[in-house]
Amino acid sequence: MDMLINPTVVELSRLQFALTALYHFLFVPLTLGMTFILATMETVYVITGKQIYKEMTQFWGKLFGINFALGVATGLTMEFEFGTNWSMYSHFVGDIFGTPLAIEGLMAFFMESTFVGVMFFGWERMSRKAHLVVTYLVALGSNLSALWILIANGFMQDPQGGTFDPNTMRMQFSSFIELIFNPDAQAKFVHTSIAGFVTGSMFVMGISAYYMLTNKRKDMALRSFRIATLFGVISSIGVITLGDALGYIDGQKQPTKLAAMEAIWNTDYNTVSASWNLIAIPSRSEQKNIFEVSIPYILTPLLTHSETTVIPGIIQLEQEAKPKIVNGIKAMIALKEYNLDRSNTQALSTFKQYENDMGYGFLAMQFAPDQDLKKINATNLPSVLDKTAKDTIPNVWVEFWAFRLMVAAGFFMLALFAFAAYFSLKNEIEKHPTLLKLAMWSIPLPWVACEFGWITAENGRQPWTVFGWLPTFVSASSHSVGYMVFSLIGFTLLYSSFIAAELYLMFKYARLGPQDDHHGHGHGSAPAGGGMAGQPVFAKPSMDRK
Amino acid sequence: MKNLLTFIGLAAIMVLSLFLAVITGDYGPWYFAWLVGTTMVVLISAAGAIMFDRQDEEQQQKQGSIH
Ligand code: HEM
Repeated sequence: MDMLINPTVVELSRLQFALTALYHFLFVPLTLGMTFILATMETVYVITGKQIYKEMTQFWGKLFGINFALGVATGLTMEFEFGTNWSMYSHFVGDIFGTPLAIEGLMAFFMESTFVGVMFFGWERMSRKAHLVVTYLVALGSNLSALWILIANGFMQDPQGGTFDPNTMRMQFSSFIELIFNPDAQAKFVHTSIAGFVTGSMFVMGISAYYMLTNKRKDMALRSFRIATLFGVISSIGVITLGDALGYIDGQKQPTKLAAMEAIWNTDYNTVSASWNLIAIPSRSEQKNIFEVSIPYILTPLLTHSETTVIPGIIQLEQEAKPKIVNGIKAMIALKEYNLDRSNTQALSTFKQYENDMGYGFLAMQFAPDQDLKKINATNLPSVLDKTAKDTIPNVWVEFWAFRLMVAAGFFMLALFAFAAYFSLKNEIEKHPTLLKLAMWSIPLPWVACEFGWITAENGRQPWTVFGWLPTFVSASSHSVGYMVFSLIGFTLLYSSFIAAELYLMFKYARLGPQDDHHGHGHGSAPAGGGMAGQPVFAKPSMDRK
Repeated sequence: MKNLLTFIGLAAIMVLSLFLAVITGDYGPWYFAWLVGTTMVVLISAAGAIMFDRQDEEQQQKQGSIH
C-alpha cells in the first residue's frame, strides 16, 4: 500500500481487461443462445422423427462449434489476467471471487466441453433420446458456467457474502448462500443469458433469411426461421423486462451508476413531474447536460417503479460522498497503525467504527500528497475531498450513451422479431423480402447491444472494482508501462486474429449453407466439407421442396 | 422391470424439479424465472416448428386436391 501507484499502468490494465473482455464476449452470447436453439431443434427431431430437424441441428451445430472453440480460447486468458494484471484485487477478494471463478472453470471445461464432444461425435453412437439429453446438458452447462462468472461479477457490483478481515487484509467469505443468491447476480444472470438467446435467435433468423433470399435449402431455412423468430420474440421481451429489473436493482445499490445512466445532475424533488432524458449531451466540467431532449412525468415510475421515490442527482451524490471519504481516511489510517502494531486495540476499534467507509479512504489515496493519507491536513483536505468526491462518479457520457444504444437495439430487435414471427406464423414470410433483408442486415445488432451492455455495467461501476470497497486504482498489479504496452499489443493481435478466423469460417460455412450429399441418411462419419473434423455428413433432405 | 425403472427415473426427476423450484422460488426468484422462462421459450419454439410442418402438410394436401 505504501508503494506509489502509477496511474498509466492502471489505465493500461483497464484497457487490456476491457479489450479482452469485449473480445471474449463476442463469442459468449452466441454459445449461450445457440445451445438452447439446437436443443429445441433436436427436441422437434426426437418428437416428430423428421430427418430434416436432425440436419438442422447438425448444420447450425457446425456454426456453433466454430464459435464455441474460439470462445473457450479467449476465455482462458481472462482467467489468468486476474492474477497477472490485477494482483491486488486478487489478493483482496481472491477468497470469495476465486470460488465462483473456479467453479466456472470446472463447469466450462468438464461439463460443457465434455458434452460438446459427445454432442458432435455421438450422433451415431447413442440413441436419439440419449443424444438429446446430451444436447440439453451442453446448453445447461454453458449457461451454468456463465452463471458462476456472473455471480463473481455480481459480487463486484454489490459485495454480498463477504466481510473484510483486518488481520489478513482481505475480504473473506461470510456466506456462500448470500453470494449466489445476491439479487444483482441473479438479475445479471437472467439478463445476460437471455441476451444470449436473443443473439442466437438473430443469428439463425438472419442466416435463414439469407438462404430464403438466395433460394438455398428453403425447407431448412423456413423451419429454422420459424424457430428463431419465436425464440427471439419471447427472449426480446425477456431481455427488456429483465433489463428493467436489473436497472432497478442497480439504482438501489449503485445510485451513482443510475444517475450517470440517466444523466441526472440535479435531484428533482418533484417526483411526479420529474423528466426523463431521452437524449442528452452531458458535460462533466460544467456538471450539466449541454443539450437534452426530455420527457416530463415518466422518470420516477420508469426508474423506481413508484411515484414518490426521489432519485438523487450526481451533484447531491458527490456531496453525500464527502462524509464517507472523511470516515474512510480515518479507517485507513487506523488500519495501517493496527497492522504495524497488532496489540493496538485503539486503532482496531477506530477502524471497526469506520470500516464500512474504508473504500472511500482507499479512493482518497490517489489525491493525497505522495498517496499518503497521513499527509492530509486541514489545508489540503477540502481539495482532496473535492477531487475524491468527483471521482466517485463514473464517466457520464459513456454511461448514458452505452445504455441508450443497448436499449434502442433491444426495442428494434423486439419489433423485428415480432413482425418476422407474425409473417412466419402466417406462412407468408417469403412475400416480404424487405423484412428478410432487414433480418439479415440486423445480425450484428445483438452483439452491439451486448458490448454496450457490458460497457454500461462496468463503466458504471467505476471508480470501483468491488463497489464501495476497493477502488480500481489500487487493484492493479505493479507492472512497468513497457510490459503493459507489450502485452496489450500482443493480446490485441492475438484476439484480432481469432476474430478474423471466426468471421472467415462463419462466412464460409454460412454461405456454403447446409449441403446436400449422397451418402444416405447420416450414417457416414467422414468430415463434412473440411469443417468440424469427424462430424457426420449431412443427410440428403427428405422434404426438399425446392 | 423396465417400466419400474422408468417410473423411478421420472419420479427422481420430479423430486429434483420440485426441490429446485422450492429452493429457487424461495431464495432466487430470478433464477426460478429463468428456469420457467427457458423451458417455456424452448417449448413454444418447438411447438412453432411442429405447427409449421402441419401448415406445410395442409398446403401440400390442398395443392394435391386441386390437381
Ligand atoms: C430495454 C432494454 C434493456 C434494458 C433496460 C437493459 C438494462 C441493462 C442494465 C441496467 C445493465 C447494466 C447491468 C449492471 O449494471 O450490472 C445491462 C447490462 C447488459 N445488457 Fe442490457 N438492457 C436492455 C437490453 C439489452 C439487450 C437487447 C441486450 C443484448 C441482446 C443486452 C445485453 C446486456 C449485457 C450483455 C449486459 C452486461 C451484463 C450484465 O450486466 O448483465 N441488454 N442491461
